[in-house]
Amino acid sequence: MRPFRHRSDRPMNCMQVGRRLQRYLDGDVDDLTARRIMRHLEDCRRCGMEATAYTEIKASLARRATDIPDAAVTRLRAFGERLVHEGPPPTEHDLPDETPGA
Amino acid sequence: MDAPVSGPAATADQRFALFVLPEVEVLLRVARTLTPDHADAEDLVQDTLIRAYRAIDGFDGAHPRAWLLTILRNTQINRTRRRRPELLDDPDRTMATVADTSPDGQSVEALVVGATFDAVVEDALLSLPDDFRRAVELVDINGLSYAEAAEVMGVPVGTVMSRIHRARRRMRDRLATAGLAPRSKR
Repeated sequence: MRPFRHRSDRPMNCMQVGRRLQRYLDGDVDDLTARRIMRHLEDCRRCGMEATAYTEIKASLARRATDIPDAAVTRLRAFGERLVHEGPPPTEHDLPDETPGA
Repeated sequence: MDAPVSGPAATADQRFALFVLPEVEVLLRVARTLTPDHADAEDLVQDTLIRAYRAIDGFDGAHPRAWLLTILRNTQINRTRRRRPELLDDPDRTMATVADTSPDGQSVEALVVGATFDAVVEDALLSLPDDFRRAVELVDINGLSYAEAAEVMGVPVGTVMSRIHRARRRMRDRLATAGLAPRSKR
């Protein structure tokens, strides 16, 4: 007799994994779902290759992150610190309120 | 004894220094995804800082990055509206554009022969509809969470997720066409 398996711990099929694959790779599924997907990916070559393709795409995109020049960040921090010490500049930036809930 | 900077006794200046200044780099990264001109991106962050400074008294201290990203988005919308009143984002028009865009609309083979994986990904990224590309730039390139990207784009989190997933699927299809990924089974 097969051991009882809680429904939520049963193996997933390719379609179930496919629907959740990207969220899984983003770390956006719960632990149990992650374990079920991981088990399927270990057993299913095609889904494993699919996961590898998406992982490589994410890695490629992450490599595109451009360095933000320190000088620009320093300028903006200095601008923020001037706001603290001197208050906002007058009229030129006297624009309508854009704050959330305003 | 000094007043705690995050408590109710903190001054507006202390709260601004605590909550806002550490987020300047993130704001600039996001601003650069919203406007291609680097000087314009810095101006956008400056306007955002001014508005945050004015609003810091009413901010409860929870999720400062999300709060700032919302101000940044509203500021950008306002700037765009003032400059180009005829080009306001229309959700219906945007979705129509998305629906009309074929994932393989260009001669993929011609573009990718001999190209590297990164070059194909870049090509695919540039060919995405604006809303899809922006979601990818915010999350996959600049490391924002889905929720933070949703703040910037002014759409529900589920919409951001859907755009990113569909965008990656298009990239994956391009890679398959170029022989750099297995053919999709779905």
